[in-house]
Amino acid sequence: MAMDEVPNETGAYIYDIKAAPNRQVVMPKTVPLPGLKTYLEEQAAAVAAEEAKWQKALADFETAKAKAEAEGKDAPKAPVRPVAKPDTNDMKFPAPAPATDPDLLHLQEVLGAKVEECFQQAGELTCQVAKEAILEVLTLCRDDAALGYEMLADETATHYPAAQGFAFSVVYHLTSIRRSKRLRLRILVPEGFEPESAVPVYPTANWLEREIWDMLGIRFQHHPDMTRILCPEDWEGHALRKEYPTLGLGQRDIDFREDRSGVLMRIAMEKAGNMGININPPRAE
Amino acid sequence: MFKNEEMEINMGPQHPSTHGVLRLKLKLDGEVVKHCRPVIGYLHRGVEKICENKTFFQGQVWTDRMDYTSAVANNLGWAEAVEKLFGITVPRRAQYIRTMLNEYNRLASHLIWLATHGLDIGAMTVFLYTFREREAILDMFEAFCGARLTTTAFRIGGLREDLPPGFEKMARTFQARFLDCVDEYETLLTENRIWKKRTIGVGILKAEDAIAMGVTGPVLRAAGVQYDIRKAFPYAAYKEMDFEVPTRTEADTYARYLVRLEEMRQSHRIINQCLDGLPEGPVMAKLPKILRSEVNEVYHATECPKGELGYYLVGEKGSTNPYRFHVRAPGFINLQALPMMIEGSLVADVIATIGTLDVVLGEIDR
Repeated sequence: MAMDEVPNETGAYIYDIKAAPNRQVVMPKTVPLPGLKTYLEEQAAAVAAEEAKWQKALADFETAKAKAEAEGKDAPKAPVRPVAKPDTNDMKFPAPAPATDPDLLHLQEVLGAKVEECFQQAGELTCQVAKEAILEVLTLCRDDAALGYEMLADETATHYPAAQGFAFSVVYHLTSIRRSKRLRLRILVPEGFEPESAVPVYPTANWLEREIWDMLGIRFQHHPDMTRILCPEDWEGHALRKEYPTLGLGQRDIDFREDRSGVLMRIAMEKAGNMGININPPRAE
Repeated sequence: MFKNEEMEINMGPQHPSTHGVLRLKLKLDGEVVKHCRPVIGYLHRGVEKICENKTFFQGQVWTDRMDYTSAVANNLGWAEAVEKLFGITVPRRAQYIRTMLNEYNRLASHLIWLATHGLDIGAMTVFLYTFREREAILDMFEAFCGARLTTTAFRIGGLREDLPPGFEKMARTFQARFLDCVDEYETLLTENRIWKKRTIGVGILKAEDAIAMGVTGPVLRAAGVQYDIRKAFPYAAYKEMDFEVPTRTEADTYARYLVRLEEMRQSHRIINQCLDGLPEGPVMAKLPKILRSEVNEVYHATECPKGELGYYLVGEKGSTNPYRFHVRAPGFINLQALPMMIEGSLVADVIATIGTLDVVLGEIDR
């Protein structure tokens, strides 16, 4: 851009808006995908690490005691096992629990191997299914008499750039009005995979999937109108991806030094006039 | 393809009756709408992206500005979603006050709806009457949290401070005169021949179509489906409140008008119960100063005056910001049903239908 190349007369600081600190993108290093398996693994790893630390503290105490006896000094203090302090605040993290709800069990029974993971957390039911089977699962949820999820409340997606084997998680929130129940279906989608559109089953998904395409770049097969919805049609980039900076890529930026409407010039003229300086306004070409 | 008589006009983003920057591409045959395509995105501010860089506390400020006519309801949804993510219990007094302010917000939003809906159709007097009541409600919001419109009324874990002295007196005075005001609006419109001619049979959306399109709120209830999140998935103090959910079966604009008027009366009833049964106690839960999330995702939906407002939050381990923040805006989903409701009707009915859907472009575009 021209403003980067124009040198300052005194050779001093040139402000490059593209290099500004809040244009920098920090990619997330973790994959915060909620799941029962990962939670149990993490808990087991945490318990094992704590146990290993305690064993090491004991071993260190033994060697230190032996060393002190050899040198004739007093024995060092014995290590005390730290006790977890009870929480005094009103916050208790809702941990994921194995599926006990009849809806989840019914889904597991009917779909069998297509269900990858089923769990309950924070009073919500989550079911992760194979990405190729999503249309079948949605049809089942709507038409099965025991499930009867008539309405698709929400469909959205999240970008997990640090994940192996998938890049996005597409989440469907279903509501059963008759039974006052909610269910969350989730599929893990790699970059470039186009899931089946939910529009034949739930026509609500029309604009929701357009928004996912617009914001995250996931196309849906057999969607009646796969165009951008919130951004203009000629927009480049998908805004909610983690590599897209919050301040944007500069497509609609206005250079503050480019006084297109002449407002700054007019303000300067008026100030000059107030100070008594007679400046001829530039003549139109 | 166009036939000779068809004309495509643009009900542009700047239009006094579109309740925001909504653009409709209409194909007309004379005055009959043959095809409608809504184009949105003129108010897209990237709230979802911005809130990924803001803490859970800071994100609430953005929720005021999405549906700017019902900021308190948006704040309540946000606070409850974050509390669900963290597993925070809110004290009972705070729940009651939240419920009361939420219902005042429902009144304020429905009053704006009635004012602008009437104004679009031509009934201009209603505007002045409803804004008189709305001023009283906004004075109460200002007494509580300092702002009239963009309130940021609640905090995660409860409220920032208790009700100010004199609030109950303001509320009771308002309650005493409000039902008569609703009757006043009814005398202006309900048996009005012109109003009935403009709204009966206009913008019909049957129950099966509404559920298939995911439409919620008064639009769904006017089609006969009794789905109100305050009853189906109770939150705040609604479990302890005694109120009815008005429904009708005709599914046209007149039915939605009656449903919303009756909802105003039921809100009045809930506020009375909140004021009478307000428990003592703290208004804020005990929380650590900095909230760091664990890996968890929640979808928490509340009944906002326009429909089901859902917040989807994904938390990252040890992070103060949400990893993903998504809003299920009722206006976004309800507006999708607009072409279905107006194709085959007259241009004037388009205006009435947009008004009856009660869309606010702030939450549609986010």
